[in-house]
Amino acid sequence: MIQLEHISKRFSGVARPAVDQLSLTVEKGKISVFVGPSGCGKTTILRMINRLVEPDEGTIFIDGKNILQMNPPLLRRTIGYVIQQVGLLPHRTIGQNISLVPELLGWPREKTARKVRELLEMTGLPPEEFESKYPYQLSGGQAQRVGVARALAADPPIMLMDEPFAAVDPIIRMHLQDEFLRVQQHIRKTICFVTHDISEAIKIGDHLVILNEGRLVQSGTPIEILTHPSNDFVSSLIGDDRGSKILDLIRCEGLMDPQAPLVDFPKDNGSRVQAVWPVKAALERMMKNNTDEVMVCREDQPAGILSWNGIKAHINRISGEKQ
Amino acid sequence: MNFDMELFLQAMIHRSPGYIPEHLQLSLIPLFLAVSIALPAAVLVTRPGYRQYAAHVMAFFNAGQTIPPLAVIAVFFPFLGLGYGPALFALTIYALLPIARSSIAAISTVPEDVRDAALGMGMTPVDVLLRVELPLSLPTIMAGVKTAAVLTVSTAVLAALVGGKGMGAIIFAGINFFRPELVLAGTIYIGLLSIILERLLSVVEWFLTPPHMKAARSR
Ligand SMILES: Nc1ncnc2c1ncn2[C@@H]1O[C@H](COP(=O)(O)OP(=O)(O)OP(=O)(O)O)[C@@H](O)[C@H]1O
Ligand SMILES: [Mg+2]
Repeated sequence: MIQLEHISKRFSGVARPAVDQLSLTVEKGKISVFVGPSGCGKTTILRMINRLVEPDEGTIFIDGKNILQMNPPLLRRTIGYVIQQVGLLPHRTIGQNISLVPELLGWPREKTARKVRELLEMTGLPPEEFESKYPYQLSGGQAQRVGVARALAADPPIMLMDEPFAAVDPIIRMHLQDEFLRVQQHIRKTICFVTHDISEAIKIGDHLVILNEGRLVQSGTPIEILTHPSNDFVSSLIGDDRGSKILDLIRCEGLMDPQAPLVDFPKDNGSRVQAVWPVKAALERMMKNNTDEVMVCREDQPAGILSWNGIKAHINRISGEKQ
Repeated sequence: MNFDMELFLQAMIHRSPGYIPEHLQLSLIPLFLAVSIALPAAVLVTRPGYRQYAAHVMAFFNAGQTIPPLAVIAVFFPFLGLGYGPALFALTIYALLPIARSSIAAISTVPEDVRDAALGMGMTPVDVLLRVELPLSLPTIMAGVKTAAVLTVSTAVLAALVGGKGMGAIIFAGINFFRPELVLAGTIYIGLLSIILERLLSVVEWFLTPPHMKAARSR
């Protein structure tokens, strides 16, 4: 768990503080996403957690311990850091870049080598091809993936990820996000993730922290923020497709009617959806088949009916709550 | 005044080579001393918190180069006297600037994101210096050392004027006795020494250059 208490940071020569009286908690094993426009202080917040920047005011605790009492290099070896500008060491191979922290920690050579290959596989860079290349031989997106692998190498309990997928194309980004979420299911790291892409934040985050001009504007789960944006800034950040984002976030099982009679429902696959799919996928099915009901299944067993009326009622309900 | 081929060949084959070891000493010792002063100074002024002194250090080394070596000897004559020692001293001062300038430039142009990443991964500042900043700076530092080497080999000729010997002895003998054969022979050797030293240092530089920079060069 990471706690920031009344953190302020003002850079010399800049009138407005980069971070202003910020207090927040990052839960253990959860992904907290920091979202906000350029210059709102996201990077500065991450860099205060690993002490690359020291706050002017306030205290930061990791697992209850004040980080000012820890030796900065030792602290940083326990915190994976994916840098916004990537920052691979140009004179080292990709393999050597990834093994940086294990090397500092004195891991045995074979263990490090195994880990390097595993991480290259995971980030979709075949080790045979990439391990002995140099950073200048990579594309921006490949370099960024190496940056993620390097941060993960020593298996740190905490990860600071500063726009880690910004430079990859949308298809690979989606793949990396999915892979990232899948891996996180197992490794359960405490993650601070920075992005200015609200859709990415909603998809990835267990908890969102919305920032503007160094201040916390709103924080909560993605669905809380989508359904109850606290002011116009948050609303405009979420955008006009709030409804569709919500439907992307709720699963079919959340809106279906489990009591509805299932008997006379057509058996074809076109009108069936899986319980864990987002409601948006069910809507697409309805539109394609020109129906207003689909059957929701769990492992092939019918579980309920999802109807257009049910979805509409939900949208009306959350819009009503907003006013 | 006609050119005496026999005297020239005699100077080339018998008289000049004897001065080579002396001249090498007069060049390499100041070079070595200059590197040992300029490089640590460059490291020091590129540390965070000391960067504001970089300009002053550069100004000091700049002054070192604008003063002619003979003037350095003149200024320190009352303390050091004439001869080999003062010559070494003046040449060292003279070699400082190119090395300091290239070292400071090299270390301060290591990309900030690379330095940052190294620190962020948990390297200590000493690790960052030895394993990131210096390896990335070495080619540029070596360029400064090469400039200083060529400069020192030719400036060391002046050492003869204050009794420091070296190849300058034969050149100034030629000037004093109106014998261009001697001047030419000495100058040829100075040229050869410069070229050989420069080539040798280039080989050293090649071995110290990180692979990605070699690739960038051959592209
Ligand atoms: N080292 C620094 N010196 C001076 N000002 C700085 C420094 N680092 C950041 N700032 C300023 O602090 C503010 C916050 O910067 P920060 O890098 O944290 O923004 P960010 O939210 O990460 O932006 P982006 O999305 O563009 O990366 C900006 O106004 C920036 O100009
Ligand atoms: Mg940033």
